[in-house]
Amino acid sequence: MPEVDFTVEVCGMAGDGTIAAGGLINEAMSHGGFSVLGFDSYPAEIRGFGRCVTNSRIGSNEIVALGEKTHALISLNDEQSRSRTPSLAEHSLVFFDSNPPAYVPEDNSLLSVLPPGAQVFGIPFGALAVGASGASRGRNLTALGGFAAVTGVDPNLFRKVIRDKFKAKGDRVVDINVKSFDAGYEYALEKFSDRLKSIFSKIETDHDPKKVMLSGNQAIGMAAIDAGLKLYFGYPITPATPIMEYLAKYLPERGGRVVQMEDEISSIGAVLGSFYAGTRSMTATSGPGFALMTELITHGVMAEIPAVILDAQRGGPATGLPTKTEQSDLHAAVFGGPGDSARIVIAPTDVEECYHFVIRSFQLAEKYQTPVIVLTDFFLDNRVENRPLIRAMEGQAASWNVFPDEAFKDHYQRYADTPSGISPRALPGMEGFNFTATGLEHTEKGSPDYSPENHAKMSEKRHRKLRYALKDLEKPAEFFASDHLDVGVIGWGSTFGSVLEAVEKSRKNGFKVGALKVTSIFPYHSETIGAFMAKSKRVLVPELNYEGQLANLIAHLDSKPVDRLNFVTGTPIPPSAIQSRIEELLGVLA
Amino acid sequence: MKTPARVLADQVNQIQKSGRFSPRSASLPTWCPGCGYFGIHQGLNDCISSLGIPLTQIVTVSGIGCAGRYPFFSKTYGLHTVHGRALPAATGVKLGNPNLTVFAVGGDGDGLAIGGGHLPHIARRNIDVNYLLFDNSIYGLTKGQPSPSSPMGTKTKASPYGTIDKPLNATLMALAYGASFVARLFAGDPKGITEALIEGIRNPGFSIFHIYTTCVTFDKNFKTWAHLKKWTHALPQDYDPTDLGRAFNEVLKDDFSLGVIFKRDA
Ligand SMILES: Cc1ncc(C[n+]2csc(CCOP(=O)(O)OP(=O)(O)O)c2C)c(N)n1
Ligand code: SF4
Ligand SMILES: [Mg+2]
Repeated sequence: MPEVDFTVEVCGMAGDGTIAAGGLINEAMSHGGFSVLGFDSYPAEIRGFGRCVTNSRIGSNEIVALGEKTHALISLNDEQSRSRTPSLAEHSLVFFDSNPPAYVPEDNSLLSVLPPGAQVFGIPFGALAVGASGASRGRNLTALGGFAAVTGVDPNLFRKVIRDKFKAKGDRVVDINVKSFDAGYEYALEKFSDRLKSIFSKIETDHDPKKVMLSGNQAIGMAAIDAGLKLYFGYPITPATPIMEYLAKYLPERGGRVVQMEDEISSIGAVLGSFYAGTRSMTATSGPGFALMTELITHGVMAEIPAVILDAQRGGPATGLPTKTEQSDLHAAVFGGPGDSARIVIAPTDVEECYHFVIRSFQLAEKYQTPVIVLTDFFLDNRVENRPLIRAMEGQAASWNVFPDEAFKDHYQRYADTPSGISPRALPGMEGFNFTATGLEHTEKGSPDYSPENHAKMSEKRHRKLRYALKDLEKPAEFFASDHLDVGVIGWGSTFGSVLEAVEKSRKNGFKVGALKVTSIFPYHSETIGAFMAKSKRVLVPELNYEGQLANLIAHLDSKPVDRLNFVTGTPIPPSAIQSRIEELLGVLA
Repeated sequence: MKTPARVLADQVNQIQKSGRFSPRSASLPTWCPGCGYFGIHQGLNDCISSLGIPLTQIVTVSGIGCAGRYPFFSKTYGLHTVHGRALPAATGVKLGNPNLTVFAVGGDGDGLAIGGGHLPHIARRNIDVNYLLFDNSIYGLTKGQPSPSSPMGTKTKASPYGTIDKPLNATLMALAYGASFVARLFAGDPKGITEALIEGIRNPGFSIFHIYTTCVTFDKNFKTWAHLKKWTHALPQDYDPTDLGRAFNEVLKDDFSLGVIFKRDA
């Protein structure tokens, strides 16, 4: 069976319907049973004035990383699309408007910068749309029609997703949009009859009807709702804002509420307050907002109050690169803030994990009575994947609160020093368990106490509790496990997909390489990670940061130095970069 | 045979003796002897016991400062947060469990300096929190630096030549921020505090109690007991607290008239 691994980009100006067209490609191919990973980028800060690009990688096998070479470029604006040509693959297909709405001077044209060998398909997108619908707005759909005809996509897939997308706007709108698509489809079928390809037509894939096209942000929002979230407190910041917007739309119908606070300090303050009162709440932010939260996060550690904080990382430091991706808040998440303030930090690596980790974060916060930080990043939040997403069953999101036994009524010790370090937590309203939660060092009863013995004892208790939490934290997963590896690659967060693809390709080249996925960032499974490092002759940690933040955290687990691959481009690490580094290390070994 | 009235009186007596509604903690507050905060403590305790609110249904939230220690001196549930963050935490508590009665307490540094950005927002959201602002115009806990409500010229170790910044007026700010219940009170008048609290708790939104008080240890010049007693007085006889325009005028022309300054008509 021939394999498909095909990347298509749509590029245009805001207003061209670029993002919509990219979304329809993702949906249609997902319905066709392909694995899809999509990522939109908009280099300009203000989208209304900038270039929009969507990138969709479509595969017959599971796709885990972004495509590096573009096999088809659909240009809705040739001036903008010129910037996309460097990533075009050999013999790529280029679709452009042969009768563009605005005159493009010769030396500004797209065709003048195409690599030799590019296969060009000029289609009058606008004129066909006018013919089909009476207006040129449907240009993006005629373009999709042309793409479908030339590449051999079943047109019914597109017709279905177009219908789904526009059905809320009524039959007439559905009709003219399908007609615009068909106009492009039929034009290309006839005009390019001798150049048609069957890239997608002959491929048999097992379509899983449970597969849904979801972004990381949507998965996070759905998880929060399925976990019974009642309150979301937040302050707008790219790239975390879509989470707030999703919840603002869907929480009210579940009896919940989104409160846009005055800053991130008040957001985490209110999250702690509502968890203190026994109600699940959360906040999501990015680096600059996370920095503001650190004092209160350590308050949650000291006063032992649950909290769920999602940090959607972006380029830093300071305001940094708001619309770019980076994994550079790991140090801040694990160590940020005053004192010995160990807290739980977990990092999903794909959209499906975003869902499950967010649900789990509420339970971990409740049981271990400490802030739980979920680390994602721009790339993970904004990319779309079609994955079999199984929503949490009844009970799977159940509360993990540990309440005090009635026997302790009237002589309750809020911070009782138990073997696990977990002290049963009373909620306001419970008769006979009144206590004051405090961020001052305190006795088991909760009274302020700065004596040397007490501070030593209670610090030990809090850290014991964190060590105990490891048993509820996901173990690192090993891929291509074997007893000895020449290179062992450790990956985390959005980067892991690239690690997996690179390792798989190196193995196909005959090299002894394996991958370890680390999702529990703190506390971490030092034995499992240490054992993986020990059995690997070289250990490589690729990360989207300059300092090698995960590498710094785990380097001490083995005596040999860790090899680092640090990308600070603001863009996802291409699998090929990891693969070359692996093979470079193997060369050193040889 | 006891009369029904007698039985009831006995029951009330018993409840009072059991201390079930008395929020006073077993140990005495650790404030300096003579500190104005003892008067506020009495005023709030009397409000709670006279309304008979079960202590388990009350949460007292605070930040950091001498005033911030308050929850340790009360038998309600307590949440002692970090410096300046009592109001956001109280917002979370109240929205998290609306059945609870929530008090937020804190000093002028806590509420007007580091936490000053939260006051407008809890007021405009009208969250049902009762906020007692202990205004002694000094940083007590950190041993006597000027606060945002210190008058110009305040001399402390941190301002040996006198401060040059103008003080903030918390009552005026609360009015401008749209708080739905605003009272101005004096720690030397616990009864006045109790009465205003009883009225303010009924307000289903944000109520602020701006309480003039004294730091006997670090302020020998400005808000001393003697000065506050001399300066403070009741609002005019015909004062109408539902008239916002009049409230502004009153606060602009008189810094020391006490009572319920404003309450929004239901
Ligand atoms: C983030 C932070 N900054 C500074 C401090 C130090 N600090 C503690 S209390 C306080 C001011 C106290 O003054 P006020 O709020 O008026 O309360 P009072 O002691 O007068 O009751 C300061 C600056 C702190 N605890 N946390
Ligand atoms: S230092 Fe001042 S405010 Fe603090 S307890 Fe003593 S008298 Fe009261
Ligand atoms: Mg003060």
